[in-house]
Amino acid sequence: MRFLLEHPAPRGLDDLVAGAEAARAAGLDGVLVREWKELPGALVSAAAVAARVDEVLVAAEIAVGARHPVEIAEEAAVTDLGCGGRLVLVARPALEAPERYVESLDVIRHALAARPFRFEGAHWRVPANLPQNVDQPEELVRVTPAPAQPRLEVWGSGPGMAAALERALGHLADQDDDPAALARAWVAAEASPASIGAPRARREPWGGADALVRRLRDGRSAFGQDWACVVGPPEAAPEIGSLVRPRVQLHALTPGLEEFWDAERPWERGGRR
Amino acid sequence: MATIDRIGISLWTMQSTAARPGLWRSLYRRFGEDAQLAEELGFHAVWLGEHRVWYDGWCPAPVQALAHVAGKTSRIHLGTAMYLVPQHDPAAAARSIATLDHLSGGRVELGAGLGYRDAEFDALGLRRDRRGRLMDANLDVMEAVWRGELGDPPPVRRPAPRIWMGGMSEPAIVRAATRGYGLLLPQTLRVAEYARVAEDYRARASAPGVVGTLREVWVTDDPAEGARHVERIALHMTEEAGSWWSMKGRFGFAARDQVDRQVARGVGEVATGTAEQVAAALREVLDAGVDYLALRPMFEFVEQAALHEQLRRIAEQVVPLLAGAGRP
Repeated sequence: MRFLLEHPAPRGLDDLVAGAEAARAAGLDGVLVREWKELPGALVSAAAVAARVDEVLVAAEIAVGARHPVEIAEEAAVTDLGCGGRLVLVARPALEAPERYVESLDVIRHALAARPFRFEGAHWRVPANLPQNVDQPEELVRVTPAPAQPRLEVWGSGPGMAAALERALGHLADQDDDPAALARAWVAAEASPASIGAPRARREPWGGADALVRRLRDGRSAFGQDWACVVGPPEAAPEIGSLVRPRVQLHALTPGLEEFWDAERPWERGGRR
Repeated sequence: MATIDRIGISLWTMQSTAARPGLWRSLYRRFGEDAQLAEELGFHAVWLGEHRVWYDGWCPAPVQALAHVAGKTSRIHLGTAMYLVPQHDPAAAARSIATLDHLSGGRVELGAGLGYRDAEFDALGLRRDRRGRLMDANLDVMEAVWRGELGDPPPVRRPAPRIWMGGMSEPAIVRAATRGYGLLLPQTLRVAEYARVAEDYRARASAPGVVGTLREVWVTDDPAEGARHVERIALHMTEEAGSWWSMKGRFGFAARDQVDRQVARGVGEVATGTAEQVAAALREVLDAGVDYLALRPMFEFVEQAALHEQLRRIAEQVVPLLAGAGRP
């Protein structure tokens, strides 16, 4: 199981940095930033927080479908280069244009590859070859630069699940999604070997370590959950790191280990941290 | 060190060219390091360009690149020269810029340009011949976002990030004057042209903003080194113009003599020489009515150590010689 920490209500860069520092210190994989009202540019937030905090992954959840997917791919590639390959692009269907989500996702993936491409769909035509743009009637377009990662990590999110799984992408489920429906979708996806290893993530509320452990064990057994995006303050990170993460890594722990942890609380004994 | 409030440094582009290949992730990291030194030396801003769909990977997303720099610095301003406003979704652009404004504590300087390559517009499904209309329509939306008319919170910098209109054409001057923007002029103008454009702009504007310009500089006591630098700029510009400029349906390389003339004219304006010589050239520009200089020692062919030496020499040797120049 891998962990992202999502700040519930960041007021600015200091809050985002505090979350990322806390995540790193607690051994969590990274943070997730989204299009908050106060900070609507998720890739901008991702680039800035990654510049301040090394090593952590930075997932940016952005609306896809409303604006041109080539523009999104360019912004993602530049963000990934700025942070040295630590970006996860989490593509959520735009509320105002859900019908364009699937095509947009494909254009983004074409654009992130290092080869010229052409895309002709119902919604997007790239390059457009508009008759008024007469100077350079190009058959193909190569979006540059390529991201730092060999293949930029792109996930679906929320209602984009079917499209994401069809493409063997990772997917971030919402915290209230029906676990049985998630299980049906992810188990069905296993019919394709392309799905092996694709991240199965769910957004998780922070209501204390015990409740989170229960949810993650349920998620793992129901649909193979292997990523948790915990919506919680920086102060939650140490508990996730010591009380949650160790309990959900393996299929089963040695009998007596959890009782030992509960009795000795070794994370309170000082030492490296 | 005190802020040098009218001198910025340009122009980062993130190009990895045939002449000077670079690993893109290194170029972005170096941009952050360069900006840290520029901040330490007291410069007002670093300026980054935008182009897209070209082999050298010219940065297509300057706001995200500047967000990296925002995280690496705390005071220096973050400029675009130019952000190609017609090529972006305006509401999303306004929100990304607002986020950069918020995360950087109000340090955004938005130079706004039209863009000119057909291929860039066509990749995004836009008509190049509508770029003027798109500029106005997109700026209207962006300003509305920053005024809160679409429900967004107000920017840190009030009433909005400072906008500089790029270009020297009459529509650009009129747009800047009527919208209350500053002007950010190209580096190739001659002194007399600066005077004319600045006067024209100030006559049209009820509340004129800052008149700035890009200006290529290279400080050296060795005339041969200065000449080599100018030659390198000429090669750089020839590649760009040959590939991108459209002349009656032909690319620049098909009209090489025209390109060569334009490039020769442009590099004639590079300020190179000793600190005294560079300062004398810049004083003329300031005295012609320019308020702000985005000095350009930065090209992709300039090694980082050499760039840093230039930044130091500009700050320590050239800037003191500019005292008293220009409008009071």
